[in-house]
Amino acid sequence: MNALLEVNDATMRFGGLVALNAVSFSIGRGEVLAVIGPNGAGKSTLFNVVTGVYRPTAGHVRFDGVDITGHPSHEVVARGIGRTFQTSRLFSDLSVLDNVIIGMHTRTKTGVLGALFLPGASRREMAACVEKAEVLLKASSGDLFEQRHRPAGTLAQADRRRLEIARALASEPKLLLLDEPSVGMDEVETDALIADISRLRTERPELSVILIEHDMRVVEAFPDHVMCVDYGSRIAEGDFAKVKSDPRVQEAYLGKAAVHA
Amino acid sequence: MSTRASSEMPGLGQAAAVVVGIQLLGAAFLYLILKAEGGLEVVGLLALLAAGFYLLEKRPQITDFVMASFSRTPVVALVTAVVVVVLFPFAVGNNTYVLHLLIVAQLYAVLALALNFQLGSANIPNFATGASYGIGAYVSALLAINFGLSFWLTLPAAAIAATLFGFLIGIPSMRTRDTYLALVTIAFGVVVQQLLNNFDWTGGPNGLVGIPAPSLFGHSFASPLVVFGWKLPSQANFYYLSALLVVVAIVTAHRLHSSRIGLAWNALRADEIAARAQGINVAWFKVLAFAVDAFLAAFAGTIYAFYVSYISPDNFTFLVSVTIMTMVIVGGMDNIFGVIVGAFLLTILPEKLRAFSDYRLLFFGIVIIGFLMIRPQGLFPQRIRSYGESR
Repeated sequence: MNALLEVNDATMRFGGLVALNAVSFSIGRGEVLAVIGPNGAGKSTLFNVVTGVYRPTAGHVRFDGVDITGHPSHEVVARGIGRTFQTSRLFSDLSVLDNVIIGMHTRTKTGVLGALFLPGASRREMAACVEKAEVLLKASSGDLFEQRHRPAGTLAQADRRRLEIARALASEPKLLLLDEPSVGMDEVETDALIADISRLRTERPELSVILIEHDMRVVEAFPDHVMCVDYGSRIAEGDFAKVKSDPRVQEAYLGKAAVHA
Repeated sequence: MSTRASSEMPGLGQAAAVVVGIQLLGAAFLYLILKAEGGLEVVGLLALLAAGFYLLEKRPQITDFVMASFSRTPVVALVTAVVVVVLFPFAVGNNTYVLHLLIVAQLYAVLALALNFQLGSANIPNFATGASYGIGAYVSALLAINFGLSFWLTLPAAAIAATLFGFLIGIPSMRTRDTYLALVTIAFGVVVQQLLNNFDWTGGPNGLVGIPAPSLFGHSFASPLVVFGWKLPSQANFYYLSALLVVVAIVTAHRLHSSRIGLAWNALRADEIAARAQGINVAWFKVLAFAVDAFLAAFAGTIYAFYVSYISPDNFTFLVSVTIMTMVIVGGMDNIFGVIVGAFLLTILPEKLRAFSDYRLLFFGIVIIGFLMIRPQGLFPQRIRSYGESR
């Protein structure tokens, strides 16, 4: 089967610091890949290389059969990679609905001249966006849908994360990147997150998900394909049981002494 | 529809009454402050205005109710507005000074709406709006004087020239932001003014003299306007012309704001990195904001040049850009109505405060600070989009 995303020997250097060192991996359609690793291991850098925020110093990124290495972010989104951020980056002074509609930017096309001289078409486009956004919000959570006219900045933590995912889904992605979605959550909220992602997978079997995660409970829920990164290098890959028992992974998390004690 | 909102929904008749009443009240206030002579009168009116805004700040329901009334009866609102604007010069009569103030206020309203695309929608601090305004004025004046082009032809020509200038400032600005971006635009503004000052073909510091008055269907704008036996001074021609331009600016602003363009600008105002992750080409949308700003500013510049028939670099200084920026901030960022109110207030106020002679600027500063203390978000802050559904 053809891989949806293929990263080959991606290297990212910032001056003397090697944030990513020849990392290679691939993910097929409908798969979930969990990326784990200690803080500062290069997981977020990996996301930034895939989404075009950084141009890798060396190596290649192929998505859906096209080389997208170093393509600007907005093009990468248009090709079908959506993402969320580690710290919530909602447009907090805009309404929940507007946040989702902005997510549809690459799927709408009115330009300045169109907006000025064809107001009818522009209005119809926005009306269609509102309808689609409401469907997305309803599917995400009834609670979020009820609050759709409130500023996004007033939402509670769990709803903020749901809105981030809904906004990313609005761009109709083939691949969704979730950067530590469980950060700052308690057990109940984490369970809800796991349920959300599982539901997403049943609703959209074609959607691939890459998940950066620290919380092993979340990783355990999606155990098929796990990759561990440390000091910018891939140190283990496989299913969760295999990665967990890898001595280098244990070393990265617990330190040399603990493993050999 | 939530129960809270439905209980506040005004009835049809009530809404129409509110809409007409509010607009007449606004017009009456404008009339009074334009006619006010002594310092005491002006201070009294300002105190009244301040009290009004204090009430709005304490009771936000009032704003919601008025807004609901307007969206309930859009036709009544529009007709009233047109009637008020058309009849206003008749109320003013032969007072050319008041008409002059109104024309300048309307041109500033257009400039402030132009800048609002950047400062209000996208949070781009552009200090070069004055320069775009100047380029519009000079291009049209030069075309009219040297090539005898009519006003109506110079209007689009000036707009195109200024839009190109907008792209020109926009391109280096793509790589900078915030303070650095502000510095780049200040530099552009100063460079343009210095060039106008030093070129021979722009008349240097003496500027351009003898810009011919426009005419329409054989009626010269320099001659008095006669309507059904009523004779209005020649300024009335330009009053209606600039009112028309304000309408164009409002329609432009409204259409862009309610399209995906306005949303994209708002997104990059809130968080540039997140905006990029939604597929917004941030650099392009910034340049676009510069171009739209310059386009509208050039229209205002053209009308100004033909109205006063004499322009010099002193009309388009850095201070003009700062004034326009203050209008947007005081009026309310990203609120079309607020920006217009800001422009009128800041045009009329300094004139009326002449009564305080030497303390005029001091008093002006105090008034602005006072209003911003009552309404820190600007007189009319931005509102959440509603998409025309009842809620």
